[in-house]
Amino acid sequence: MRPLDEAETTAVFEKLFKFTGNNLKNIVENPSHEGPDPNPGRYCFRLHKNRVYYVSESLVKRATNIARPKLVSLGTCIGKFTHGGKFHLTIQALSLVAANARHKVWIKPTSEMSFLYGNHVLKGGLGRITDSIAPGDGVVVYSMSDVPLGFGVAAKSTQDCRKLDPNGIVVLHQSDIGEYLRMEDEL
Amino acid sequence: MGKKQKQKIILPPELPPEILEDEIEVSDEDLQFVSENRDYAGFVSRLDTHSITKHVTRVADVKEDDLEALYEKRLRKTSVVKENEDKGLQLDPVDALPVKTLDGKLYYRTRPKPENGGDENEVGGGEKGGGGNEGIIKLTKVERRAKLKKSKREAKKEGKKLSKPEEAEQAPQVAVLAEVKEDLTAEELFESKKCKLAELGMALLADPESNIKSLKEMLQIARDDNPSISKLGFLSLLAVFKDIIPGYRIRLPTEKELEMKVSKEIKKMRFYESTLLSAYKAYLQKLIASEKQPVFHQVVVRCICNLLDAVPHFNCCEILLEVVVRNLGSQDVVVRKLCCATIKSLFTNEGKHGGVATVEAVRLIANHVKVNNCQLHPDFVEVFMSLSFDEDLQRREVPDDKSKVKNKKNNKRKSIEEPSQLQQNERKKNKKELMLKTRKEVAAEYKAASLAPDVMEKRRMQTETISAVFETYFRILKHTMMFTAVSSEANASSIGGASGAHPLLAPCLKGLGKFSHLIDLDYIGDLMNYLKRLAGGGSSNDGPSQKNSNHLTVTERLRCCIVAFRVMRNNLDALNVDLQDFFVQLYNLILEYRPGRDQGEVLAEALKIMLCDDRQHDMQKAAAFVKRLATFSLSIGSAESMAALVTLKNLLQKNIKCRNLLENDAGGGSVSGSISIYQPYAMDPNLSGALASVLWEINLLSKHYHPSISTAASSIAGMNSAHNQVYHAILSPQQAFMDLLLERESFNSKSDTQKSSSKRKRGNGTSILANTELSSNMSGSIDENEVSKKLGDHFMLLRNIKENERLRDELDRATLSLHLYDEYKKQKKTASTKTKKCKKLLNA
Repeated sequence: MRPLDEAETTAVFEKLFKFTGNNLKNIVENPSHEGPDPNPGRYCFRLHKNRVYYVSESLVKRATNIARPKLVSLGTCIGKFTHGGKFHLTIQALSLVAANARHKVWIKPTSEMSFLYGNHVLKGGLGRITDSIAPGDGVVVYSMSDVPLGFGVAAKSTQDCRKLDPNGIVVLHQSDIGEYLRMEDEL
Repeated sequence: MGKKQKQKIILPPELPPEILEDEIEVSDEDLQFVSENRDYAGFVSRLDTHSITKHVTRVADVKEDDLEALYEKRLRKTSVVKENEDKGLQLDPVDALPVKTLDGKLYYRTRPKPENGGDENEVGGGEKGGGGNEGIIKLTKVERRAKLKKSKREAKKEGKKLSKPEEAEQAPQVAVLAEVKEDLTAEELFESKKCKLAELGMALLADPESNIKSLKEMLQIARDDNPSISKLGFLSLLAVFKDIIPGYRIRLPTEKELEMKVSKEIKKMRFYESTLLSAYKAYLQKLIASEKQPVFHQVVVRCICNLLDAVPHFNCCEILLEVVVRNLGSQDVVVRKLCCATIKSLFTNEGKHGGVATVEAVRLIANHVKVNNCQLHPDFVEVFMSLSFDEDLQRREVPDDKSKVKNKKNNKRKSIEEPSQLQQNERKKNKKELMLKTRKEVAAEYKAASLAPDVMEKRRMQTETISAVFETYFRILKHTMMFTAVSSEANASSIGGASGAHPLLAPCLKGLGKFSHLIDLDYIGDLMNYLKRLAGGGSSNDGPSQKNSNHLTVTERLRCCIVAFRVMRNNLDALNVDLQDFFVQLYNLILEYRPGRDQGEVLAEALKIMLCDDRQHDMQKAAAFVKRLATFSLSIGSAESMAALVTLKNLLQKNIKCRNLLENDAGGGSVSGSISIYQPYAMDPNLSGALASVLWEINLLSKHYHPSISTAASSIAGMNSAHNQVYHAILSPQQAFMDLLLERESFNSKSDTQKSSSKRKRGNGTSILANTELSSNMSGSIDENEVSKKLGDHFMLLRNIKENERLRDELDRATLSLHLYDEYKKQKKTASTKTKKCKKLLNA
């Protein structure tokens, strides 16, 4: 377990910024606990075995008691570095991203299952979409009852979505909550 | 004596009217007084009346011989002076006591002569009020004739002034006439001119074809140097032209046509038309030339507007349009309103000119906006609101286009097929072509013959109009953007003038809202971006510049949000787009709203369009808006808070989970999401964590002084999440706002009466109180002895009890001592017996 170095930090923050925009500030400055304590702790990012964890400071201090090879996990895992050095968000980051999302897409109940099996979001399944999405932005996918289902990357801007035919891809799938079942071992 | 003195001395007011000596009544008392005091009265007989009269008439030092000449001279002078005065100021003979200034000059009170008071009296009550220059917008023929007469009279009056000889550039005939006229006096000249104007006008109206020549003479009169005469000329010419201009555009015959032999009637007709046209052109030239002179400005603009309104189809209407459009932004309110009304009627009555004038006017306005860099009067763009676009026209055209495409395809197919068949039946093909040609010719002729306006032509004009209108709108938006961008760079320097810097923005936004369904889909993206930035107060970057960037007023920013939603709703119904940024803006604008400064209607409209009409919202966002609206309605006037409450109710009905806010349980439970504390100052509704709070405001509002608000609040408080019945929203926030706004006045008066009644009640109450106090005082004075007796009794009782206790204590102590003594005795006895026993034992 160690803090991220410069390059890793930029990689993580750039990825998160795609989803949250200026709300990234809220993620970093989020107080770790409530109460009358005048100095609420902060959350910080830690790298452990190629995975990035979003951990409160107090937990980090306690985790130092455990030897590195024995430590399985701590805090919330939000993503991992690939062998190529790229950073990927994993599904556990959804709660963090969804709370601060800038671009959202709501999908109809009929196409919820399709998305949860790992398919892209098509125009036909689109229930609602926020304005001013540019292609390449990170998008959080919600069900119509505001339950976050996963996230992905916008394939088309909001304007282009209008002209798209019903089978065109709007959001490229990255991760969904179905992975908790499908890829239980990897998580 | 002469002139010098005359200039220095201001003449005293005229002597009071002379009264004959016979008419003076001498009372008996006076007689008596005179008879008693002969000495006093003596001086009267000694008066030198001759010299007094001389001095009074100021001829004292003049010799007898010159007197006659002097009188004559003076008489002449006074007449001239009178004439001069006649026009301008008039000395009121009765109440004109002179005022002496500090440097010793005398001033006589003067008053402007009523302009045509006498004239109106002459005309009598039959005519509508107002001078000759006004009230001529729509006159029937009779009225027009009456007006001509009236103008004649006016001219007569004005004619007392001298006129200069007429210009040299007249026709020889007129020149001779002018020579003759020179012999006449000035008065007669004007009389004749005026009469002539009227006669010519009447003759023209009666039979335009034969009297068409007299138009030129009227024009001549209109060129007169005297402004009032030429004004009359303009107006009467306007009346004549309005009447005689035909319902078609005059096309002058070409030379070829002139060479051809034509019948007499046609010749006559041609002559008539060409004279009319040339006269009309000359008239317009004169009008436009004199438009810049301030004396004529209003009259000329009125003439032009009337002409444009009446005959927009006629030749030279472009010139008219240009003048009218230029005067749309005039400083003069009358002129501006007139021009606006004209342009609006031009837009609404397109049938008169077939839409040509509309296109032209819109283009002219667009050019003006472009040239003046958007710094114009709002009326310039306001007039676009009365434009109307025929949507059926477009719809009908769409299938046509498709069929055309199909035809083209067919043609292509044919052309592909044809080469193979070409050799086989060339003849047939030729035949076909011939047939097609003739068919086309017939169709073209039919089109030309049929009176129905060409649909294609109409459509082309409409698209042109639309594009010009939107060009103007986008230009204004862009200009506003640029301005705000520049000023946000310059920051605080230009805040002062910023509010008035976008005069065209408000009408532009209104127009965009109205015509939003006509915007090309390709532009919408840019439009939304602009609107977003404008709604954000001109700058999209947050942080320290946010405070300085409030160049647009809250109303304007709210309008931007409304327009964005309108555009989205009208065009993008298929795709449900969530305009998050605009919600964020609205969320913050609600706090910035000030009831006096900003328009409540706009806020109500925004609430309706953005919150009530939208089909669904995120739970967080809805809750945040519910909370904020409740807070807002606590601190604002009744009408606004009613609108807010109606919106709030609507939101709660749609979002069942948000009704958790009504529960008396802070924290929100499982729905509250990631943010567990309510942050009232959050900029983003999604991050405010409103679900963690409680709607305590509703409880306060249910005790609102306004009955309808309190009922609304209590009805909201009643809709718990427990019972899930369907509520019907009856009122829209706008309606609610307007209702309360209307009610406000009546409510004020009502509350006044209530206050007064309550005062009365209170008055009654105080009197009752006073009564009770009085009675209590009375009873107190009566019962004083009793009270003292009772008090004494009480005191006695207390003392008795104390005494009793003391006695009982003593008794207890005595009995205790007795007991002790007894015991002591007993012990002593036993001790003695013991000792006795011991003694006995010892003894034994």
